[in-house]
Amino acid sequence: MRLSVIRAYFKKEIKELYRENLLWYLYGIPFLFIILFGYGIRMEVVDSRTLIIDYDQSKSSYELISKFEHSKYYDVDVATIPTKEGLDKIKRNEKDLMIIIDSNLQENLLKGQKVHIGVFSDGAFPLRAKTLEGYATGTIYDFFLSKMGSSTQLNKLIMINNRNLFNQGMRDEEMIIPGLIAFILLVVPAMMATFLIVREKENGTIFNFYASPITKSEFLISKLLPVLLLQTVNIFVLWFIAIYMFDLPFRGSFVLYVATSFIYLIISSSIGLLASVVTSSQIVAIIFVAIATVIPGFLYSGMIMPISSMSGEAYVIAHLYPVMYLTHLMYDVFLVGDGFNGNQNISYFFILILYSIILFILSYITLGKKLK
Amino acid sequence: MRIFITVLKKELLVFMRMPALVFLVLYVFTIEIYIAGAGISLEARNITVGVVDYSSRVNSSKILNHLQEPNFKTPIYYTSQEKLYEDIKNKKIMIGIVFESDFDQKTYKNIGAKLNLLLDSTASAQAFLAQLYLQNILLEFQNAYELSPIVIDNHKLFSPNAKFTYFMSITELLAIITLITVLLSASVFVNEKENETWNLMLLMPVDPKIIILAKIFSQLIIITIGTMIAIGLIIFGIFDAPFNGSFLMFILLTFLYSFTSAGIGLFVAAVSSTIMEVAQLSILIMLPLIFLSGAWTPVYAMHPILEYLSYLSPLKYYIEGSQSLFFRGTDIIDLWKYFAGVIVLGGFIFWSGMKKMGKLF
Repeated sequence: MRLSVIRAYFKKEIKELYRENLLWYLYGIPFLFIILFGYGIRMEVVDSRTLIIDYDQSKSSYELISKFEHSKYYDVDVATIPTKEGLDKIKRNEKDLMIIIDSNLQENLLKGQKVHIGVFSDGAFPLRAKTLEGYATGTIYDFFLSKMGSSTQLNKLIMINNRNLFNQGMRDEEMIIPGLIAFILLVVPAMMATFLIVREKENGTIFNFYASPITKSEFLISKLLPVLLLQTVNIFVLWFIAIYMFDLPFRGSFVLYVATSFIYLIISSSIGLLASVVTSSQIVAIIFVAIATVIPGFLYSGMIMPISSMSGEAYVIAHLYPVMYLTHLMYDVFLVGDGFNGNQNISYFFILILYSIILFILSYITLGKKLK
Repeated sequence: MRIFITVLKKELLVFMRMPALVFLVLYVFTIEIYIAGAGISLEARNITVGVVDYSSRVNSSKILNHLQEPNFKTPIYYTSQEKLYEDIKNKKIMIGIVFESDFDQKTYKNIGAKLNLLLDSTASAQAFLAQLYLQNILLEFQNAYELSPIVIDNHKLFSPNAKFTYFMSITELLAIITLITVLLSASVFVNEKENETWNLMLLMPVDPKIIILAKIFSQLIIITIGTMIAIGLIIFGIFDAPFNGSFLMFILLTFLYSFTSAGIGLFVAAVSSTIMEVAQLSILIMLPLIFLSGAWTPVYAMHPILEYLSYLSPLKYYIEGSQSLFFRGTDIIDLWKYFAGVIVLGGFIFWSGMKKMGKLF
């Protein structure tokens, strides 16, 4: 390992990055991503387009409707149209939820008979359908409980006293942003690193490497270093945006945040390097990296779906991809705040280090120093 | 026409001569979609439950018996709240239930017993659903539905058991169609630039429009075959998804939409001179397009500015149209807005891509 060689290569890489206008990509894309997805991804269902068909038109039904109108979850439209027309509206994707109040609501309530209320939701979006059903059921029960007063037996039921840990307000930002940072730190450096070697291959400048006395490890390190150093800025920029633009709490250890993010940069850059070493053409390398990073980054990170509830192969794959470990640590530093006190955090931290070493060695082994 | 076919054949041959690329395209159209459909589910399934029970375990175990597959995993007992909290923190447990020591007495006396619930709300969507499930279980346990004056008839339309598999696999397919079309159609041109065969192409006594169209068409053939494999083998074959609309309409919509993506590809190819730039630009364009198309989050729930922007995404119309066809079974006449959206936006994108590309000839 000769430092002077690395330094020379390093200079060359930085100059190339600059001359090829790659810097805007390096810094622009993470910024764009966090803004777009931070504001764009909403798991919470609000303002769902609701149609209430009121055949009863009584005092009780008006009260029930106003209960719906005052909730942020629904964007209510009241109409007295045949059920079929309402169903057609859902079919045309104009409404998400339809509630049908039968004409005997008030009458049956007074007589103490059962009242039927129909709730129809658009099952094309399964998560939304289930959530909306839950909301509507809750709203309707709530209404009748409050209407019947404290005299009935219903008020003596077992109630749930729930505490939302880590994300008290159930805010979507707090749920999405830490995972999003992990995602960005996976995709951007990987893409960046892919470009570096494949480009040399396609331009033929890789022969410089084949012919010169530079060793494989020197070559890999000098390819990795510039990307790593330039990307480090992003770690801080992303943190700043998360805290000041999205108002995230930061309960954990900043050292852990920076350290894991940095190790992660090594991992994702190595994935990119590996992809570019094993493939021969740029387009293949790029699709390869896209498959290896974008989709697992979203799906297997535990960001939108908890790992513990995955089944079968997805559970195994999630544990094989390094992204899950980083996402866990990101949630810890932002929301949980256990830092180095948690055993799980420490083991995940070392798993990440292990990954970075394995990936680097893999790209070292697969990199050939002669023309195939 | 002869020239058109010759160029078409040549591009298909070039594609076939890159086995790694053929393999990757096959992979994304089959295994990738299968994994996403089979494994990923946004709903709350297999919720892990941890229990600390200080009560005499009469009523609590009855309640816990109601926590059943597939929504819940078998509850795990903990001796203390600290240990439970620790495992929630380590994401081994998603919801924790704590029964106080006077839980049974209060239940018998009907004086408002309380069940303490600890939710890991770093996954708020699932945490919320888990809470809803539990609420329902409690109400059922106490025969509340019989006591209450109302009966709520829930209907999930179109997909009664709300299977996530269908939704995920189809969304994944649409995203992959977009991604692969843009990348392939852009690289067809940029490859020539990089390999310096571009000038050769310019010297050919052929109308540039024919070359462009033939090149695009060759990639669309590849995409169409991939889509067919994905739908036939994975979505209908393995997942047995429902299809409530007109299949012909879906094919037509896909065909029109792939022109849109190809248009983006043309545009990208025109402004970039290396594959690297193609990749950067595609990422820059594609990811917002995919994630803001309403595939994951309904458009009206987004930030207002993004909501307006999403109307410019042709993918939005394609996804909504496809969902309507697969699940909702929308009448053909009511599909006009999706077709209009794809045709107008796609037409514009393809036209400007063609124009931009044509200038290079």
